[in-house]
Amino acid sequence: MEKGAARAEWDSPVQFILACVSYAVGLGNVWRFPYLCQMHGGGGFLIPYLLMLFLEGVPLFYLELAIGQKMRQGSIGAWTAISPYLGGVGLASVVTSLYLCLYYNIINGWSFWYLFHSFQAVLPWSTCPLSANRTEPLEECRVATPTQYFFYRETLNISPNIETNGGIHTGQALCLLLAWVMTYLFIVNGVKSTGKVVYFTATFPYIVLTVYLIRGVTLHGAVNGITYMFTPKMEELANPSTWINAATQIFFSLGLGFGSLIAFSSYNQYNNNFERQAIIVSLINSGTSIFASIVTFAVYGFKATVNYENCLDRLRLLLMNTFNLAEDVISQDNVLDWVEKLNTSYPLEFAQIADKVETCDLTKELSTAVEGTGLAFIVYSEAITNMPLSQLWSVLYFFMLLLLGMGSMLGNVTAIITPIKDFKMFSGISEELLNGVVCIFCLLLGLGFTTPSGNYWFTMFNDYGATFSLLFIVLIEVVTVSYIYGIKRFSKDIEDMLGHPPNWYWKIMWGGVSPLLLIALLIFYIINYIRGGTPTYQAWNQELGQAVVTEYPVFGQVFIALLIVSSVSCVPMTALYAYCRRRRPSATAVYT
Amino acid sequence: MLEKLLILLFASNVLAQVCMPDAPEAYKVRLSIKTALGDQAYTWNDNELYLFRATLAFAMRNYLSGQLFDVSNILVCNETERVSFWFMVKSVTNPTTLIEKQHVENAIKESRHRINSAFLLTDQTLEFLGILPTLASPFVPATPPWLIAFGVVMGVVGAGIVYFLVAAVVQRKRKKTLDEEEEAKGATENEIAGENLDGIYNTSFSDDEKVTEM
Repeated sequence: MEKGAARAEWDSPVQFILACVSYAVGLGNVWRFPYLCQMHGGGGFLIPYLLMLFLEGVPLFYLELAIGQKMRQGSIGAWTAISPYLGGVGLASVVTSLYLCLYYNIINGWSFWYLFHSFQAVLPWSTCPLSANRTEPLEECRVATPTQYFFYRETLNISPNIETNGGIHTGQALCLLLAWVMTYLFIVNGVKSTGKVVYFTATFPYIVLTVYLIRGVTLHGAVNGITYMFTPKMEELANPSTWINAATQIFFSLGLGFGSLIAFSSYNQYNNNFERQAIIVSLINSGTSIFASIVTFAVYGFKATVNYENCLDRLRLLLMNTFNLAEDVISQDNVLDWVEKLNTSYPLEFAQIADKVETCDLTKELSTAVEGTGLAFIVYSEAITNMPLSQLWSVLYFFMLLLLGMGSMLGNVTAIITPIKDFKMFSGISEELLNGVVCIFCLLLGLGFTTPSGNYWFTMFNDYGATFSLLFIVLIEVVTVSYIYGIKRFSKDIEDMLGHPPNWYWKIMWGGVSPLLLIALLIFYIINYIRGGTPTYQAWNQELGQAVVTEYPVFGQVFIALLIVSSVSCVPMTALYAYCRRRRPSATAVYT
Repeated sequence: MLEKLLILLFASNVLAQVCMPDAPEAYKVRLSIKTALGDQAYTWNDNELYLFRATLAFAMRNYLSGQLFDVSNILVCNETERVSFWFMVKSVTNPTTLIEKQHVENAIKESRHRINSAFLLTDQTLEFLGILPTLASPFVPATPPWLIAFGVVMGVVGAGIVYFLVAAVVQRKRKKTLDEEEEAKGATENEIAGENLDGIYNTSFSDDEKVTEM
């Protein structure tokens, strides 16, 4: 006689909350939200952001937690239980999570690379390597900046475009291997090990952020950045893309649609109060975004001020050397007055150096907004080189990035493994073996991102792998639950679990507001895609030392289409498959 | 006639001794003392200029060994407020000719560090326009330091995985032997194989009203 295996569970509700926080609070909070804040009017952006949080963020989060906790299965099993024709939604989630797993751990690999390189006397991205005759820095480094050179040349060894390729970068491959090995360590025993790890991955980043906040606001010029960020530009609220970006940011930041939330909540006790937890986690996630952007803007302000003062210094040197003035006559404060004075008194000589005279503008420095890997690995690392004790700050920062990334990876991998484990076919395989196979599979495929053109493929996956598909998936989810499963039935299930039914606010959101918002977002995406013409990417040009907008070649566009179609088509194809099976009288259900 | 010759000789002598900016044998020097030393900057005066000429003579002596250069061999002109000036080097063997640029450059490159130290300046603050400083190449250790950090972390993580896998295998073996013992004893508890022991709450049998009215 065989004992039935009870489903694994979190040791306590705290572990579940921390797991959700660890998953939701990721790199996007640090590198996407501050960018959006800056682009869309600083403090004013909080209005659409918070509004969208309550209109779609929290209701959809609640929905996914409810489904997982009720069905007690991963995304495929849960959706099949809701409606046999819509098991494809779960499958689409798994496919999207797979794509995410493939490219997300590369970022963790980069974090490892930078972290290990911080243990040096001189940070390698602070100076340029020298050319052969040792008289000047390498040309590529001279034209760009040392931090850009370190990222594009030494870290990625990037090729000029997506067509050109080469061998695997051994350093990157090693770091990716370490990232996957560490991911495996965290999930090796399933929820038992994940539950313990999240105590650390969820809390430590906040400690680092606080330390950085203190360091950041005490930096010279930090206040410039913070005032720039928080000065609301209310006219931005009239721009529709502000609202659209707020909606998309809330959506992706909470990690909806990947199946991770369903997977996590499937390990809950049946009567766990997920309603309160949904609100708590959503608020923590948004709060962290705002917190992180204060830190980011303090550092921005510091960097912009340093650049501005360096610009003034260069101008001062130029004037002093050309007009042979004594050193203490021109200082940083009056250099601009001197420019005027010398221009009027010595117009001829001034005209000779006119092309070397740069305009130093603090606002321009502040408004160069960067997001994504550019912010994290180039702008931030440049700011760190200017701080005293830069090795310490570098180690802290990249360790924090690592924790944020690893925490999200836990959710991503769990989203794939939980549905697979639910299949009867795989229930005989031991947990450790299954986890190991998934990790090795993702590692081998992910090695493709460590080739010279790997960063371009990474950008493609990042931009197209999970954006449209997720909107589609979540739209189907909310429409299914509201109209096919029925809100009444769903409310009864929730009452069953919680002891009270969801109130009118939730029902209105699920039934009306959220689906409408999602449809609007989908339409916007499609219109934008069509209007944008051929999709483009930023290719690094070695000679110019900057990124150049390039169109994707045909095979690239085909691959983009494949990425989107492969996940979206799971829904109709599974529906068709289920329909065909139903027609055959001998059909037996695959899922018990 | 003789007087004309004498005048010509004298004139050429004088010409050879006059330092001119942009001359083919002249170099421009620029010092940024306040930038380098801040509060501890010294004021540039004739004595400092004398020291400069002496250091240059020293550099020339080192380069062209045997020729005893003196302060008088170094001609300086066009001093400015910036603290920049032009200089030329007169030959020892033939006082009417000037040392070529290339030799002066080599001499300075050889003794650059000594010249800088004499003035407490660096390659960037004591500039010889036209002579590029040889930058110090960064120190490259035998094993890249990042590999060491990587090895440490990889080792720890690998050890962790091995520990957990072994613990899982041991636990499973222990459970198996426990199960076998129980089977041998004959388990009498009602266990339904393959079912969720928690059971699923069937809501169709519960009342809609939680509170039944009396």
